[in-house]
Amino acid sequence: MTDTLLQSIITGVLMGFVYALIAVGLSIIYGVMNVVNFAHGDFVMLSMYLSYMAGTLLVWDAVATPLITVPLLFLFGFITYYLLIDKTLRQLYVVQLAVTVGLQIFLRSLALIVWKAQPRALQYSIIQGNIEFFGYSILTSRLIAAVVSLIFIAAIAYFLNKTWAGAAIRAASDDLDTASLMGVNYHRTYALTFAIGAALTAIAGGLLMSFQQTDPQGGMRFGVLSWCVMALAGLGSLPGLIAAGVIVGVAEAVAVTFFDPRSRLLAIYMIFILVLWLKPRGLFGRK
Amino acid sequence: MIRVTDLYSGYGKVPILNAVSFEVSEHEMVAIIGPNGAGKSTLLKTIAGLVHPSSGKVVLEDQDVTGLPSYQIVRHGIAYVPEGGRVFPNMTVMDNLRMGAYSNRQTLKEGVLDEVFTLFPRLKERAEKFARTLSGGERQMLAIARGLVSRPKLLMLDEPSLGLAPKLVDEIYEKIRLLKESGLTVLLVEQNTTYALELADRGYVLENGRIFMEGSCAELASSDHVRKAYLGL
Ligand SMILES: Nc1ncnc2c1ncn2[C@@H]1O[C@H](COP(=O)(O)OP(=O)(O)O)[C@@H](O)[C@H]1O
Ligand SMILES: [Mg+2]
Repeated sequence: MTDTLLQSIITGVLMGFVYALIAVGLSIIYGVMNVVNFAHGDFVMLSMYLSYMAGTLLVWDAVATPLITVPLLFLFGFITYYLLIDKTLRQLYVVQLAVTVGLQIFLRSLALIVWKAQPRALQYSIIQGNIEFFGYSILTSRLIAAVVSLIFIAAIAYFLNKTWAGAAIRAASDDLDTASLMGVNYHRTYALTFAIGAALTAIAGGLLMSFQQTDPQGGMRFGVLSWCVMALAGLGSLPGLIAAGVIVGVAEAVAVTFFDPRSRLLAIYMIFILVLWLKPRGLFGRK
Repeated sequence: MIRVTDLYSGYGKVPILNAVSFEVSEHEMVAIIGPNGAGKSTLLKTIAGLVHPSSGKVVLEDQDVTGLPSYQIVRHGIAYVPEGGRVFPNMTVMDNLRMGAYSNRQTLKEGVLDEVFTLFPRLKERAEKFARTLSGGERQMLAIARGLVSRPKLLMLDEPSLGLAPKLVDEIYEKIRLLKESGLTVLLVEQNTTYALELADRGYVLENGRIFMEGSCAELASSDHVRKAYLGL
């Protein structure tokens, strides 16, 4: 019993880092432009399909596919920003909502048409087997996914804190007008933010494809859990996002192991509601 | 240095500025005074590119900068220090200052930060603190310093004394006096007429979105209208 519990906690923690990586994109986008991207989970789904395609066509390992999918998603985010989001910034909130929900429906339909309803998975991976860890066995691909996710979250932290483009993003999320008085062209900064958010889902997508399958409805799960991670963390704290990702990952793993595999979203959602009751600004947010 | 001609501006369909014309010469300090709601901030925001003019002209050193977006205006050498300072609360004092150099990064290599720290030593002590932890006076100093970091040709100050205790107002105005003496061209907007007219070279009175009077500060300070309406004499 405790063995099974610890085993599922370990799995959950590792998964939580990947969730944190997904939520980082959503959170930066929301923090900077006040847009909740309801299609964020479907960006992950799209990334996973693109990884699947790259992996099958080129016979590449899933974890290598971000070399191709990251530029694609970056471009996709950039174009999506200018075609859809930029036009809605000064509009009513419901217009933004309609646009990103519409994008979600579009991506799901597209996936259904292109890849049909059956799930897809990549067959071969050079990263096979398990690693033993104090008597618990960890799937190597999950460990790698967790480590790579952490590395990229650290890279984002570096980018935000040490580069001009990162400073522009932080300034724009603090005070847009004043940032523009400093010379920040917010259309460009927003487009970059959106593109980075999308590119991060491509990294996560490749990592996930090394041990999971994808299906057209998969975006639902990643959408819900990344909103939960963001809400749990509160705005403006990358360590908070990591902690929140881990909480969500563990809750999911424990619910799947001890209750019912179909209860994963329910478990995540219940934690989300609980935190909204107790700490509406999130566990680690500022202010 | 800057010449504003027949400027009309406002928010949406609401007109605020009505045929505003004035100029500021190089090394000059010009004050625009007027009551609350007269349109002083709207005027500076229109010059800075945050509010779009419906007609008129803003010319900076023979370059027409009318209606350019704010992120381009600063590249032309106009720094606007907004009302209340508007520092970036979740960035450190240092990062706030560095953002001031966003449009002109060369200045950092030229040691501009040392210069502003000499003028505002308190900011140096607070360099690694988040701007949200600063007092009102410190925020105002940070906002002015941030404006200076881009080495502007024209510095526009929007009510630098707003909401500050009298002692701090003295301190801020002492700094502004030093800036003026260093030869910086300054456009100062104030409700605190006494301070503004004491320090500036010339002034304009803005009422209901129109220039109501203009003249040297001495002339304005001795006019009946200004004495009654603004100096409470
Ligand atoms: N963002 C805005 N939207 C609509 N009206 C505004 C806005 N900002 C200011 N106003 C109006 O414009 C007028 C002039 O305001 P402002 O330029 O701030 O005056 P001042 O700086 O001289 O006190 C006021 O009547 C004010 O209510
Ligand atoms: Mg004002």
